[in-house]
Amino acid sequence: MSFDVALIVNSIPKMLDGLELTLELLLLSSAIGLFLAVGTLLMRISGLWFLAWPAMLYIYVFRGTPILVQIFVIYYGLPQFELIRESVLWPVLREPFGCCVVALSLNAGAYVSEILRGGVLGVDRGLHEAGKALGLSAPQRFIYVTTPIAIRLAIPAYSNDFISMLKATALASTVTLMDMTGVARTIVAKTFAPYEIFIAAALIYLSMTWVIQRGFGLYERYMSRYVKE
Amino acid sequence: MSVVVGWLDEYFWGAMVILRVFGVAVVMAVLFGLIGAAAKLSRSRIAKGLASTYTVIFRGTPELLVLLIIYFGSAVTLTSLAQALDPEVQFVDIPPFWAGALAIALVVGAYMTETFRGAFLGVDHGQIEAARALGLSTLQTFVYVRIPQMWRLALPNFGNHMLSLMKDTALISVIGLEEIVFVAEIAITVTVKPFTMYFVVALIYLAITTAITGAVAGLEKYANRHLERAR
Amino acid sequence: MSGNGRLPMIVMEGVCKFFGDFQALKNINLTVNRRERVVVCGPSGSGKSTMIRCINRLEEHDSGRIVVDGNELTGDVKDINAVRREVGMVFQSFNLFPHLTVIDNLMLAPKLVRKQSKAETRERAMHFLERVRIPEQADKWPSQLSGGQQQRVAIARALCMNPEVMLFDEPTSALDPEMISEVLDVMVDLAQEGMTMIVVTHEMGFARSVADTVVFMDAGEIVEMNPPTEFFQDPKNERTRLFLSQILSH
Repeated sequence: MSFDVALIVNSIPKMLDGLELTLELLLLSSAIGLFLAVGTLLMRISGLWFLAWPAMLYIYVFRGTPILVQIFVIYYGLPQFELIRESVLWPVLREPFGCCVVALSLNAGAYVSEILRGGVLGVDRGLHEAGKALGLSAPQRFIYVTTPIAIRLAIPAYSNDFISMLKATALASTVTLMDMTGVARTIVAKTFAPYEIFIAAALIYLSMTWVIQRGFGLYERYMSRYVKE
Repeated sequence: MSVVVGWLDEYFWGAMVILRVFGVAVVMAVLFGLIGAAAKLSRSRIAKGLASTYTVIFRGTPELLVLLIIYFGSAVTLTSLAQALDPEVQFVDIPPFWAGALAIALVVGAYMTETFRGAFLGVDHGQIEAARALGLSTLQTFVYVRIPQMWRLALPNFGNHMLSLMKDTALISVIGLEEIVFVAEIAITVTVKPFTMYFVVALIYLAITTAITGAVAGLEKYANRHLERAR
Repeated sequence: MSGNGRLPMIVMEGVCKFFGDFQALKNINLTVNRRERVVVCGPSGSGKSTMIRCINRLEEHDSGRIVVDGNELTGDVKDINAVRREVGMVFQSFNLFPHLTVIDNLMLAPKLVRKQSKAETRERAMHFLERVRIPEQADKWPSQLSGGQQQRVAIARALCMNPEVMLFDEPTSALDPEMISEVLDVMVDLAQEGMTMIVVTHEMGFARSVADTVVFMDAGEIVEMNPPTEFFQDPKNERTRLFLSQILSH
């Protein structure tokens, strides 16, 4: 058993083929997920039971089940229903890419809405009271006081979740997609060199993680510029 | 849904498998977490460096990839070793159960390192000083003051790690572990009802994660009972 | 006794407030006239903060009536907003918006609630910053200011809304001793200009020199209510005497 460093180096370019799909999955799902998360959060904190309960159910289900199972239910499971096959969404749900984006977005929406809620809850109650005392309406307080502070508070948890999303994209390889992990598995099947290939893939993921953390770190520093040292 | 009834037996045994994997993985993950935290808190630069490397690598690499490296990597290594001894051998692997448990434990253990470290540092230093001033030894301080406070601080995050670990067990089906996803796959070839069968898998996971969440919430309440407001 | 023949500024009649089983306010009856300065004192848990927080609906009273400048406080949002426009509040923990500069803190509500123009708002904001004697801090973050400066900004922020009455909830309790007087000086200025104010405080010197009426509360009730000379020299109630002996002994 030899450890072929040259193989690692040579594999990295091939792995980068898969990078495009990985990034597409990550960015698309995160964007849609953020959108879903804000909507879900507003439903959750609305105080109206018929909005809050569906939101809580959605969060409960998607945080309580493995992403792999969610992908399988959507990709393998939904075609069971004629309604789906004939619907307007079929072109999206027929493709593994579409199914993965749907699954990852729904997952992101559930997790991120809880993260945002944590940020909102972290805003000092006294600031709400000051806003009330000054006569600001509830929507005004939410936009001008709560949101800027909640975002800053949510950044660390959000950046962790963003990295989890990156790692979750690897699951796309289980439904035939050629993201980085998918490409890696294909090469390993041909070369029987799991260490070198998978380690090369891991190195790329690690670099991406590092870049993401730095990026969010800078953003957090900017948002925290008014905080006492 | 009646088609499911015939498969309840298999689902049950599959669920037992993932619960066993979970149990083993929890023990390993907590162990890795404690060792990692201790290393990071120690004064040795080597220990700190190793622990940091561990957490960086395993928090930044997809769980699936870790699983694949450990399983296929060890299989290749063991197979070539075995073939060196006996050329007739085709394939030797670590059983997917153990490869899987190890892989997910390594990943979650890296997160637990940070949680334990944070909880350790989060204990109000004033309390430690008070304990020392009262004459308690380092060990007594650790056992009677530090640990009770630590686990209260660690509990919420620890609960989340438990949930992650539980959900990660689904990945092990990818390397052939015969658990509930596997059962669903077989059932689908027979019944051709993929949604129903995977839905049952989701329900089983949901039930287990709900139980874990409930247990953690109960523990949190117990751990924080001394902090309830005076009326 | 100050006040003129017009409607009183604040009327509280038979106000009761419960937190679960615990009764925080027991049948509060209080009238505050225009230009009157009321100081409320009492032990912790006596309900002083709860009482003034009911006036601008930060707490909801369970029974009784509260009328502010002719507007009765009900659950109706319009009534609440009408009252909050006329009532300014200064909190013990300042509650300045940390993500806005000092001047932005002052300008936020006038722009959003009174819909003033930016130029007019800024002019008024600077005017009030000068009144509280820290115009040079306008572009700083709250976290860069000392506690005393932050509280003065908080007072200016409340004044920018042109309130008819100012409520102070233990404004100096969270301040280091050397900063208390700078805040009290600002409050004395305000009082001398004729602002109607209710101040919950332990600062008895302030009560003696500025108040028209001193109210003593204990266990949710108003126990005694008198002009300061009478209140301090000849307390009528046993509980008042006990409290004064504790607070004035050292």
